[in-house]
Parts: sequence; C-alpha cells; structure tokens
Amino acid sequence: MNALKKSILICLLTFGYLATAHAILPIEKLDTFKGSKGFLVQTKALPMVDIEVSIDAGDRFDPSGKSGLADMAAGLMNYGVRGDQGILSEAQIADEIADLGANISLSVGGERAILRIRSLSRKDLRDRAVKLAAAMLSSPTYETKIVEREKQRTITNLLEAETKPEFVLERRFAKSIYGNYPLGNTPTVKSVTAVSAKDLTQFHQQFYRSDRMIVSIVGDVDRAQANEIMQTLLQKIPQSGNPITKVPELQRSPVEPLAQREIHIPFDSQQAHIAMGMTAVTRSNPDYFPLLVGNYILGGGGFVSRLMSEVREKRGLAYSVSSYFAPGKDTGIFRAGLQTKNDQATMALEVMSSTIAKFIADGPTTSELIAAKSNLVNGYPLRIDNNRKLLDNVSSIAWNDLPLDTMEVWTKQVEAVTLEQVSTAFQKYLAMDRMKIVVLGAKNK
Amino acid sequence: MRSNLLRICFLFLFCSPLSWAASSNSADTHEFLLSNGLKLIVREDHRAPTVAHMVWYRAGSIDEVNGRTGVAHVLEHMMFKGTHQVKSGEFSRLVAAVGGRENAFTSRDYTAYFQQVEKSKLDEVIKLEADRMSNLNFDDAEFLKEIQVVMEERRLRTEDNPSSLLNESLMATAYMTTPYRHPVIGWMNDLQNMKPADARDWYRSWYAPNNATVVISGDVDPKQILKAVEKYYGVIARQVLPERKPQIEPLQKGIKQVQVRAVADSAQLAMAWKVPRLEPGKLDDPEPYALELLTAVLDGYDNARLNRVLVKQEKVVNDVGVAYDMISRGPELFLISVSMAKGKTVAQAQASIRKALNELKQKGILDSELKRIKVRILSDQIYKRDSIFGQAMEIGTTEMAGFSWKDIDYMLEKMQTITPEQVQAVAQKYLVDPGLTIAVLDPQARNSAASKEGK
Repeated sequence: MNALKKSILICLLTFGYLATAHAILPIEKLDTFKGSKGFLVQTKALPMVDIEVSIDAGDRFDPSGKSGLADMAAGLMNYGVRGDQGILSEAQIADEIADLGANISLSVGGERAILRIRSLSRKDLRDRAVKLAAAMLSSPTYETKIVEREKQRTITNLLEAETKPEFVLERRFAKSIYGNYPLGNTPTVKSVTAVSAKDLTQFHQQFYRSDRMIVSIVGDVDRAQANEIMQTLLQKIPQSGNPITKVPELQRSPVEPLAQREIHIPFDSQQAHIAMGMTAVTRSNPDYFPLLVGNYILGGGGFVSRLMSEVREKRGLAYSVSSYFAPGKDTGIFRAGLQTKNDQATMALEVMSSTIAKFIADGPTTSELIAAKSNLVNGYPLRIDNNRKLLDNVSSIAWNDLPLDTMEVWTKQVEAVTLEQVSTAFQKYLAMDRMKIVVLGAKNK
Repeated sequence: MRSNLLRICFLFLFCSPLSWAASSNSADTHEFLLSNGLKLIVREDHRAPTVAHMVWYRAGSIDEVNGRTGVAHVLEHMMFKGTHQVKSGEFSRLVAAVGGRENAFTSRDYTAYFQQVEKSKLDEVIKLEADRMSNLNFDDAEFLKEIQVVMEERRLRTEDNPSSLLNESLMATAYMTTPYRHPVIGWMNDLQNMKPADARDWYRSWYAPNNATVVISGDVDPKQILKAVEKYYGVIARQVLPERKPQIEPLQKGIKQVQVRAVADSAQLAMAWKVPRLEPGKLDDPEPYALELLTAVLDGYDNARLNRVLVKQEKVVNDVGVAYDMISRGPELFLISVSMAKGKTVAQAQASIRKALNELKQKGILDSELKRIKVRILSDQIYKRDSIFGQAMEIGTTEMAGFSWKDIDYMLEKMQTITPEQVQAVAQKYLVDPGLTIAVLDPQARNSAASKEGK
C-alpha cells in the first residue's frame, strides 16, 4: 500500500500537463474480439484511463410482470462474483475497488446496461481493476440472501418514490407514451417482488454475451494495451447463445382527440408537474441535426430558449422549463416539461403548448437559427474537453453505429442546417394532435 | 440552475467525503492582486482549448440579516436582468452566441457566477461579467416576475421535498445565533415580502472588486489574462464593505430534538454534532482532518462501516449518508442521515448508529481502513484534474472559506499524516450528546390518495 501511495505522488510530479494537439482526437477501432467491437481514444496528459462496456441488456428486455429485472441484473453484479481464486464477497469487491483507488459503476437505461471503470493507468492497478470488472461481467453469483435484501431495499425506495410528484408523473408519462412497448411498464413493488435470484441468473446468461457488448476506452493507454484490456474484460464471457426475440418497434404516437391524450392525476403537492411529448427519431436519423438545432431554439438552449422566455422570463411561471429529444439506436422520444404552483397549471400548460405549436407551424426565425448554430458550433470544444466527455461521445458513436469521424464533422453538420430543414423536420416528426400530456397536481381553482 | 443553491449541492455533489481536496500545482497557478482589491487566480491547463471563467463574491446567506433571508440568492437571479449597457436577458444571449455555458449559484458562504467558453471567446465573457459587477440596473417589473420564479424554485426544492424540509428544521434547531440557521433560498414569508430595494441594497453592499475573486482555469496565458482582467475589472472602484459581525454560536448544552411531519413513506433520522472546522492560519490542527477521515471511514466507499453494518448486516436502514465540510466560513456539523428500512423504527436506527459509533470510539479503527481512504484521496487528486471547471471550483471554494489555493497541497499532505488514534480521538471528543441535534421526519400520507395511480 505504501508503494502505491508513493507511486501516485510520483505520477503527480512527473506527468503534469502534457499539452495535446488541439485537433479533435481520432477514434481508433480496436481488434474485434469474440464478436464484440472496441474503440479507443488515446489521451496521455493524465495517468488515468476510463473504460466502458455497453451491454445490449437494457430495461426494454424486462419480461412482462418483472419490470426491474434488467436493472437488478446489472446493479447486483458487484455484490458477489466467482473469480479466479474462488468467490469474492461484496465486501471483498468493495474493499478491492477502494484499495485500487478505482471507481466501478453500473447503470441501466432503456436500451443498454453500462459498466464503467475509472482507474489510474499504471499497469498493475489497471490490471486488477479490469480483472475485477471482468469477473463482475461474466460471473456474478446473485446469491439469494443478497438478492432478497436488495429487492427489499428497492421496494422501500419505490414506495418512497411513489409519494413524490416527479416519480408519479414519470411513471404515468412512460405508460402514456410507450403504451405496450416494453418501456411502458416501469418497475413496481409487484414486479420487483416477482423477480427471483434464478430470474437474474437466467437474464444474465441470456443477455450478457460478448456479441452484445461494445467496449470504449479513453485515456493513457496505447492500442496494444487497449486490446489487452478488452480481451481481459470479455475473456470468460460466452460469445453467443440462444437467439433473443427482437423488441417490437415503437409505434408512432397516434392522432387522438385531446380527451384521450391528456391525463390528469390529482395530487396535493404545492406544485403541479406537467409533461408533454411523443415518439420521435433514432440517433442515426438523417434529420437528427435539424432537430438538434431546432430544439436548441425551442427548449434546449438553457436561458435563451423560446420556452424559457415565454414561461419563465416573460411570465415568471416556473423555475425550470425545457424540451429535449432522446434519440437512441431505436426510436426515442420528444419531451417537454415544467413545474408550477397549482393555480397556474392551466395557464402554464397553455403557454407551453402554444409555444411548441407555433414552433412546429412556423419554424424558427433567421436570427434564431444563426444564434443557435453560433452557440452549438462555438461551444463544441466544451463537449469534448476531458476524458469523461470524450468517453460519452465515443460510447454514443459506438452504440448508435455512427461513422468514426462523427466528432470531426459535427460542427459542419450543424452549419449545414437550413431554416427549411428545421421546419420540415419538426413538421414531419412532431404534431400537436399526437402529443401525450400528463398533468399532476391539485385541480385548478 | 442559476442557483445550484443550498446545502443540497454540498451534501450530494461537492461534498462526497474529502472531495474538496484536489491537487493544486504551484507552477501552473498564478495569483495577482489588482490595485482595487480584486484577486485573480489563473490555473493553466492546456489539455483542451477551453476555459472556465468564474467570479466569486464573498457574500452568501451567512451575511444576510433577519427578515431578508434569501436575498443573496434573489440578487443572483437579478444579476441576469440587465445593466446600464446590456438589457435584461441580453447577458445570456451574448454568452450563448459565443458558444458559452453559463450559470450561477449561491451558498451559505458565497455567490458565484461562471461561463465556460472556447478560449478565444474569453475576453468577451470577462467584459460582460465585469460590467455587471458595478453597472447592474434592473427595473421593478423584472424583480416582481423573478421573485415569483424564486418562489417556484423554493416550492420545487423545499416545500415539496421532505428531505429538504427536514434539513431546514435541523439547521434552524441546531443553531441559535449564526445565520447558518436560515436556508440559503430564504424563508417563504421573507421571499413574499422582499422588495426590489432589498436586492439593490445587497448589490450595493457586497458587489465590489475588493470582495471578489476571479478564478480562470484552462488553456490560457496568465500574462494576457491579467491584461484583460485589469482592463475590464480594474476600472471598478474599491468600496467600503459593511461590517461583518462574528455572530459566534454559543456552546450547546444538551441534546436538541425536532420533528417534521411531511408527506413521505419512510421515516428519516438525522443526527448532527457540533464539531470544529479548519481555521485559516491554523492548518496544523489535526482535528478537522481527522473528522474528514472519520466521514470516509463511516461512509466513504461501499463497504465502509455504516453502510456495511446498518444497511447490509443489520438491515435497519435503507440508505445512509455522512457529511462534514472541513472548510467553511461558519460553524460546522458532523451529520449522519438515514432513511428507515421497512418495518424498522427511528429508535432502532438510532440505537444501531450509536452502537457503531461506540464501537469505533472504544476499539478505534484499523490501519487498513485508514490506508484505503488515503489511497482514494490520492487517486482522486488525479481524477479531479480531468475537469477544468472542477479545478476552478476547488480554488474558489477554498478561497471563499478564507484559505489560499496554496494551502490545498499542504492540507493534503497533512491529511496523509493523520493516525487511526487521531480519528478515534475526534469521535470520542465530539460525537457526544451535549452537542447533538436530532431531527426526525415523521412520514404522512397524502390527502389525495392518488399516489397509487398509474402503475
């Protein structure tokens, strides 16, 4: 341990800041290994490395009645593993991570589960962190006692969340917008209760296969070292398995009368919470850039967006109001939302709706388009100015199958967006008579 | 955000144990003092062509007076509402046009404003920020709208948030005289009665170059920066600052308790002890360092003591958090917060916490536990450098608490010298009943039993 401490201090002294070229750093494709693709961006200035494994095992694969299974399959990987030297307990895993000065995190979204490692790049430390993560990925034990404990904790958290306006809104909005698509069912006390240790093991066997994984690495390692990291991570994982049923396509939100699209949830919080949205596009959609630029103007551009101006700056109705597109490998959604005190809910919803409707109908002005492009283009360096942000970019490019020069041409693609493209794209994908609306709060007086 | 606000961000964002302490590097950091009293600190980091520009005013809720709580934060909002030259909302539009990201936040100790830009745009944001240091000029109508926004912010973050309500009552109970007893966002009644003149008075009192520190980090040349800062900030006149009364909190003489009834499912318990902080000029005091390390021994990693014993072994609580800030302008608390596991009572949780603390007080901590924490501190020094903005944050918070950025390295070295016995000693000395405040959240059902909706 003392040797480790010393070495870290020495790192601090010898590495310092190595100036890197300010050109956008290239993404290197690693050797394909057991059906898995890997990507690397080398940054040498700091003696550290960030590693991500994306697994095609997100919430959309939750079986009916067992929502929360995908979350737990990933979230319990660090609570006991079968390693090279036998079983490692949750305590041993946590101590080892701490002793290495490393971080290993697990998260699950709609599409994918993500394991991330942040480690010092010194080989002995890095190797141990990678080996531990490899054991977590390939051989979690899902011991019944621990599964039951964590299920109970999750249930307690769910019961707490069900008293919170934002959670109740989110759950109802997901049901509304996703319908029968798997993401329409979010975890409940009942669905979590139904998950067993055996379900976790089966889910893991079915989905945690190297042909469903992508590795992204950013930091102080060379290509050979990165290949080695990737191979260590995937060494013990089976390459493939039984075919997996495809998730159904997310159907476009249909045209419906308002009464069928709008839901009111009575809730005695001080503020009403409002969400509005519909299905939209994939990340690889050619209209991605017109929608990105357009949404900056509508509700993505922080203090200068139209929604912010109409709802907050002009009327003082809300602290935060915004809109976004969440495109993925599959079709994602468009969503706008705000919170306001109960007796202003109707007015705030009206202002938000008419602002969005007007934008879809008329599009942006020329000066708005210039301002939006100016912000996005001038601000691009801020999206890639550290290892963590680079990893976010590499990971998104890899997951969404985007060209490897995506970062290099990003500003050009923003520049190329025209007024007409924005209008056309918004009219093509969004429509007010398709928008799902959820209003949670006390009835208006 | 425009008000990251409150203790919340300190509890969950910046104050994960020991996170205040990142590395500094004397060769890369430069300090200048302008003749008008403005301090400039430049941290060079040439990894990417970006820069963070922050101005920190040593004026937070600790400087507020009765009846005007929340005014520091309200003024923060009004700082975007126009100057003699730049009309309302224009500041944000100009920053956006150069591709900038911007925001501001208010804490108990300070108010800070920042922009992140590509390096060639730095001059533009310095000019804008310097302008609003002395030329703020908002009209009453803007104030009347914005105070509504601030009240919405309070509803969102506090009124509808039982954990925030609990924390608010805890602070108001633990402290009798220090302004730390008031929430940064202010009491609702004070917000309802706040006048434009209150915000303007605040601005006139505290927004002066001799009460400000500019911190710039990123791909910059310190000499050029100094020129730009002198050009724009240098012309602003120094002014006499109001007197800051010490308002020293009297010694607590026995346990205090408070109960909060709010809509929730699980009960929560917070136990907060009065503990010392690090005082400027007394960097060798081992106690604050030992308290930081104690925080991490209890809650610094997944297998740390309280998580292991209370959550995993005894299953008496669902979640546990421990917080302590070694550096701040006002008095400090050592805070343990838990939410109950299903079927467990607050009394059981409190008994388990006390048992875990007693064991630590009697038997001390293992050398291996402390080493583990120290390794983490060292590796965090490297990880922290990945963020240009994080480096500016660290310098700013340290300076605002009355220390120099130059002290950071010394504090880190000092931290590495602390022994298990010293950690045990602060637990024995300070985690005792006479200085303890206990706050309990008593969960209430919602009137509209609507929370079962939408499964």
